[in-house]
Amino acid sequence: MIKGRYEDENLKWIPLLIGLVILIPFALKGMTFSYKYYLYILNTVGVYIILTVGLDLLSGYTGLISLGHAAFMAIGAYSSAILVDQVGLPFMASLIVSPIIAGLFGFLVGFPALRVSGMYLGLTTMGFGFIIRRLIIAMREWTQGSGGLVVSAPEIFGFTIKGDWANYFLVWTVALLVIVAVRRIVKSKIGRAFMAIRDSEQAAEASGINLAKYKMLSFFISGVLAGLAGVLMAHTNHFISTDHFDSMLSIYFIIMVLVGGAGTVYGAVLGTVFIVLLDNLFVPELETLLHTMFSIESGELESFIFGLTMFLFIIFQPTGLYGMWLKMRIYWKLFPFNPKKRFT
Amino acid sequence: MNSLITDISQEIVSGVALGSIYALIALGFILIYKATEVVNFAQGELMMVGAYVNFFIIQGFTGDMGLPTGWVFLMGLIGSILFAIIFGWFLDLVINRPMRDEPVFSIMMATISMAIMLRAVVSMVAGTESLVPPSPFGGTHFKIGGVIISMLDLTIIIGAIVLVSVFYYFFNKTRWGIAMQATSEDPIAAQLMGVPVKRIYSLVWIFAAIVAAISGVLLSPRASLIDTNMGFMGLKAFPAAVLGGFGSIPGAIIGGIILGVIETISMGTLSYHFHWVKEINDIIVWIVLIAVLMIRPNGIMGTKEIKKV
Repeated sequence: MIKGRYEDENLKWIPLLIGLVILIPFALKGMTFSYKYYLYILNTVGVYIILTVGLDLLSGYTGLISLGHAAFMAIGAYSSAILVDQVGLPFMASLIVSPIIAGLFGFLVGFPALRVSGMYLGLTTMGFGFIIRRLIIAMREWTQGSGGLVVSAPEIFGFTIKGDWANYFLVWTVALLVIVAVRRIVKSKIGRAFMAIRDSEQAAEASGINLAKYKMLSFFISGVLAGLAGVLMAHTNHFISTDHFDSMLSIYFIIMVLVGGAGTVYGAVLGTVFIVLLDNLFVPELETLLHTMFSIESGELESFIFGLTMFLFIIFQPTGLYGMWLKMRIYWKLFPFNPKKRFT
Repeated sequence: MNSLITDISQEIVSGVALGSIYALIALGFILIYKATEVVNFAQGELMMVGAYVNFFIIQGFTGDMGLPTGWVFLMGLIGSILFAIIFGWFLDLVINRPMRDEPVFSIMMATISMAIMLRAVVSMVAGTESLVPPSPFGGTHFKIGGVIISMLDLTIIIGAIVLVSVFYYFFNKTRWGIAMQATSEDPIAAQLMGVPVKRIYSLVWIFAAIVAAISGVLLSPRASLIDTNMGFMGLKAFPAAVLGGFGSIPGAIIGGIILGVIETISMGTLSYHFHWVKEINDIIVWIVLIAVLMIRPNGIMGTKEIKKV
């Protein structure tokens, strides 16, 4: 996909990230009265990070395009809602089972991926997204159709997780674990196989990488992570409907990965934070500002800005935010002797 | 039994008309794909823009004078084609040229972002509520053995046939068409042989925009409403293009018509007789797509491509 592996993207950032994650809610509480709203936004960021990191593993590292990732999220969310509320499974068990169900669907999508590639795969996954959405509506007895489903609060070791504050720590604990886990995967033999497949399928196969196995594995892991995001989303949001997982969301996920920098784990994290904050903090401001001049309905400006952001990033900064950061860092590292054409 | 046959043949007729529109949109994809190996996800949005421009021109010239005349419709068609020419050229300038050497995935995402922007801009300019376009033929129709064929459907089918034949002829017989084929085969070699590759690329994007605009103009009276969701029709044309084998013009026609017929029959007779079909009839094109990709990834008319390492 986008070339260039960054060797200095390593785990030393994790303690900093953990510190930041713990500090931010307290800082917010000290600074604003409406900190609960910001916590809610940060919860969304956390859930999306779990998904985009997984999507990055699939699209950025393995080079397989998915335009239907919201469907995996929907599968995770709905299966967890059904398992916990209707079957009576404890939340902790569902946290493991539901992502695996989503992962198995990833397996299913992986089958066509063995035969088709590039845009055909994009179409297949997009079609998969539409089909899953329709199936969820069709399974009315369990999912209440398009009306949506109310989900109970999660219970962990007898404690009920309720409210934005508790949700925040639940979501971000999982998100940090996922980031570390994916970092480990990327640095392992599996990750190297993924990157080899991305750079050249033929060369990878010639060096003894089992294409089928690793492509399926990539889809499986990515599906599991998306399912995990769905489980957390269902249980922290307490309400899910098919509108939460429409096909536009899948495209927004890809935008997040690309804006952050495909093929880097921290890039996916950065991109998600950037896009969600842009969506929730910047766009409403701009909307009220523009509203005095033109009459614009909400939602249009948002998608326009998303589209424009991605377009500009693809053309001017294909390595994304993470690439930008690396450029800056190298610039300062070598300050007086700046190489002119280091990253082109 | 007799009524069943009538129903099905009725559905086939309207399916062929719907399929012709799919085929036209798919033709737009294929034109761009053949020449530049880029899949233009904004094709459906180009169609939407064409339909909107057509609508506003017709509305502007009709004024308060009541029903528009034939000349006004012609003017709407010409106006939207002119607009499409400018627009296609613009898209070539902003998407194709700066991104020539980028990976396919990036270009695909660029066209998707263009589609998102177009949809947003159109709903900002034209408002979000659906518009009702006038039909040039009113409700004119005729009957053949119990099967009603509306004048509009007939025009759509004929229009699609004419357009596709023109393009088929253009691609295979004319100088510029052959230059385009050479460009899609190997742009560098074509450039060395004196083919103006740059101009070919903008020409291809312009053609695709024109085809999209015409399909938008044809579709809008048939759907009898225009809104920004029309762009999703473009997505439905993908399976048509894939079914016919991406990159083959006759394939697009066959694929489009097959899909159109499948869709209308599943919406009509099959939904009536089998309850469960009702649940899946709006995703049936995607089921067909995945089935085709699993069984025969190169489509009906496609040729197998061998990748050199």
